[in-house]
Amino acid sequence: MKLFNKKEKEVTEDSKDAPQTYWSYVKRQFMKNKRALYSLYIVIFLAFIAIFADFLSNDKPLVCKYESGIYFPVFREYAVDLGLANWQEEFNNALWNDLEYDWAIFPPVPYKNTTLDYDNSNYAGPFDKQEVRSTQWRHWLGTNKLGNDVLACMIHGTRIAFLVGIVSMGIAFFIGIFFGALAGFFGDDQLKMTRGRILMNILAFPLAIFYFSVFFEWSIIAGVLGFLAVFVLANLLGKAMDFVPWLNNKVKVPMDIIITRFIEIVVSVPVLILVLSVVAVFPPSIFLVMGVIGLVRWTGIARFIRAELLRVRSLEYVEAAYALGYPRWKILLRHAIPNALAPVFIAVAFGIAAAILTESFLSFLGFGIPIELNTWGQLLTQSRSAPKAWWLAIFPGFAIFITVTLFNLIGEGLTDAIDPRLKQ
Amino acid sequence: MFRYILKRLFIFVPTLLVISLVVFMLGVYAPGDPVLNLLTQQSGGESMDDKKSGEEAYIKKWKELGMNLPVFYFTISSQASCDTIYRIHRKAHRETLEAMTNEYGNWNEVDLYYKQLQQFENTVLTFKPDSVSSRSWSRLRDNVSQLYLRGGESSFTELAMERMDKSTAKINDTLNVLVPALTDLKSSYQNVKSNATTWKKYIPSFNWYGFNNRYHQWITRFVRFDFGISYQDRKPIAKKIGDNIFWTMLISIISIILTYIIAVPLGVFSAIRKGTMADGITTTFLFILYSLPNFWIATLLIIFLCNPQYIQMFPAFGVGTEAAEGQSFFSALGIRIHHLILPLFCWTYGSLAFLSRQMRGGMLGVLRQDYIRTARAKGLPESKVIWKHAFRNSLLPVITIFANIFPLMISGSVVIEVIFTIPGMGKMLVDAMVAQDFPVVFTIVMMVATLTMIGYLIADILYAFVDPRITYSSKK
Repeated sequence: MKLFNKKEKEVTEDSKDAPQTYWSYVKRQFMKNKRALYSLYIVIFLAFIAIFADFLSNDKPLVCKYESGIYFPVFREYAVDLGLANWQEEFNNALWNDLEYDWAIFPPVPYKNTTLDYDNSNYAGPFDKQEVRSTQWRHWLGTNKLGNDVLACMIHGTRIAFLVGIVSMGIAFFIGIFFGALAGFFGDDQLKMTRGRILMNILAFPLAIFYFSVFFEWSIIAGVLGFLAVFVLANLLGKAMDFVPWLNNKVKVPMDIIITRFIEIVVSVPVLILVLSVVAVFPPSIFLVMGVIGLVRWTGIARFIRAELLRVRSLEYVEAAYALGYPRWKILLRHAIPNALAPVFIAVAFGIAAAILTESFLSFLGFGIPIELNTWGQLLTQSRSAPKAWWLAIFPGFAIFITVTLFNLIGEGLTDAIDPRLKQ
Repeated sequence: MFRYILKRLFIFVPTLLVISLVVFMLGVYAPGDPVLNLLTQQSGGESMDDKKSGEEAYIKKWKELGMNLPVFYFTISSQASCDTIYRIHRKAHRETLEAMTNEYGNWNEVDLYYKQLQQFENTVLTFKPDSVSSRSWSRLRDNVSQLYLRGGESSFTELAMERMDKSTAKINDTLNVLVPALTDLKSSYQNVKSNATTWKKYIPSFNWYGFNNRYHQWITRFVRFDFGISYQDRKPIAKKIGDNIFWTMLISIISIILTYIIAVPLGVFSAIRKGTMADGITTTFLFILYSLPNFWIATLLIIFLCNPQYIQMFPAFGVGTEAAEGQSFFSALGIRIHHLILPLFCWTYGSLAFLSRQMRGGMLGVLRQDYIRTARAKGLPESKVIWKHAFRNSLLPVITIFANIFPLMISGSVVIEVIFTIPGMGKMLVDAMVAQDFPVVFTIVMMVATLTMIGYLIADILYAFVDPRITYSSKK
């Protein structure tokens, strides 16, 4: 929301005749498209479920009175997970559902996606008679073979799907912006370097990877810093070599060609098969899934940014900024990229849909996501071994379908709002 | 044109190289020891008793798989690590030693320790325990074998040493004879720790291994279509693929044909009737169809249409090989079609929806053009305007989509084949992944990548043929 700065907002609200900013224009166009707008509302609702999944479905009470003390176990759980606190003595390894509370307020779904209800294992259907204490404990969408509550799995599955979609596209966003901006802003003729520096940069690359892997053992940030430090040193060294006659000639670096070729290579990779093989080989981990999807899905974003920047580069205001003597990187960050961002959101919206689909595809095949999490795809795959449990086939599949469709609709709405051909 | 194709090929080769590298490295760094997997599969478990023959069998298999070679042409590693560590045959040992060198930065001492450990193991194994000492002896043996696997964790090593001390130090026990050997082992471990040169870890070293390496061997064989043998059933991979590719190809081709036959007219009609209710319904329906994940639909179909609990209209799995055997041609065909209807539907509907949406969009774009208005103005009948002027020109994007559909179908086939248990490439890939059968995984991924790129190339060439305005040769 940084993009809508306050001043612009006021102007558009005050008078419609005043010149609108590009962003308010896009926003207005998007609002006109009712289908996309309602999709956005539903996605926000789903995101709400994803964020507050622990408060909607949990085997611990929200508030409870237990042995003359009042506790907030769900909140406490966050603190315990963050390592800030420990469980109170009486709750250590407790079976939350079986404790004798004086009174307790449970979340709407008093189960977690990992909770096993042994009384209702082996596929208790939503309409079947269930072995529960009261309606509050009913499994509204049934259970699976082990006795996981399907509704709880659906709620926590929303969180996993959104997490994978958003984090992987976040990774793709930064990679895409980085390469796209390099290609689009410098083009083929704007970046000049001495031969010495080019040589040093090429030589530095393997070294940088080495130091990345060495420092990666400490932390990922140390690894990245090590990586960058090698390049900084290499450039300094290259600059120091300026006294050598041949090496100090400046030559153009065809950034655009290099990066476009690189993008073409990545695009030709059969993404699904490659992601599948990477994820299948290593032990299941949600971070691996997010990382791999992010690493292969950035090309669309890079292409958008590149095309936009190539266009923006010759616009008057960038030339004006040059004329005013702003440094190149400042123009890039402050002026060019924010203006090129609009079309990127189209790619991000479609990308999230694709990432969620990929995650459920992987889960469905049994790769990538740890099996005990019971994500949408995993529930769906469980239905194959139990045809009578129709609830395992219908609900999770419908959730995947709806989420993917909503993001696709938002993407279409954005396309319509941003596409300049529709401007009158 | 020729130059353009050459240029495209110029992209293909590095792309294939990158993919081959990624896939190969996956196989190398994947957890699990393929040699061990193969051996246990063959003999049904390694027997602890004849350690020596087990070791020999291991080394034989290890050499047979070509794993006694360096992994790649070169490595960039640190000064601390050892450049010939690939010669240690047990993968688990190698990993332990690598972890140790990484911690202490002193390969020489680690190597000495490893030799000492092997010596100690020999001494332990040749020792004949009597009834009193047999329990401590077996505990000792377990500790030694654990040291090979978990020696990378220094806390574990310390603990194991302590335990071994206890096992041997009992008074009046025959195990006492092992004490000197254990002392040697301990002192060499102390040497590793005291002579640690951690700084070496931060100094890079470059090792060149030449062409006799695992990657080179694999890739040169691969280009000669020698894909090696499958770890699972020892069959040549080329033969396995030959058996499996038929169904994938058959269904893909039928599916592509169906897609084009249905989608193109559908798109055209929906474009002509733009704004009518028929168009609205078609468009919405196609959009929903496009967004439906095919593995969901396939699961629903197989549950609700292939099940005695609900409706049993279709067979639930396979391609009807057994049922069709010995039947007359037509009844066999009938059985095959009966088996293939559902997979074909799931295979097709996504690309069908995608293609008709594209066709509709393309057609709408063309219908807005001036020359269509001209054609109408000069009094041509509407059917001629549509089919002769508009249709031909809107075919252009649809042809290129072929390139996108083809690889999509192969990837999409994975899940459909798994659900309907069709013996095709996709199912073979997933089975190979589960069984960690890397040669098969490599081969299929590489083949799919090659096919994908051929698809792109064909699309480019077709594009130039269809639209004479496009030339690839002269640029600028």
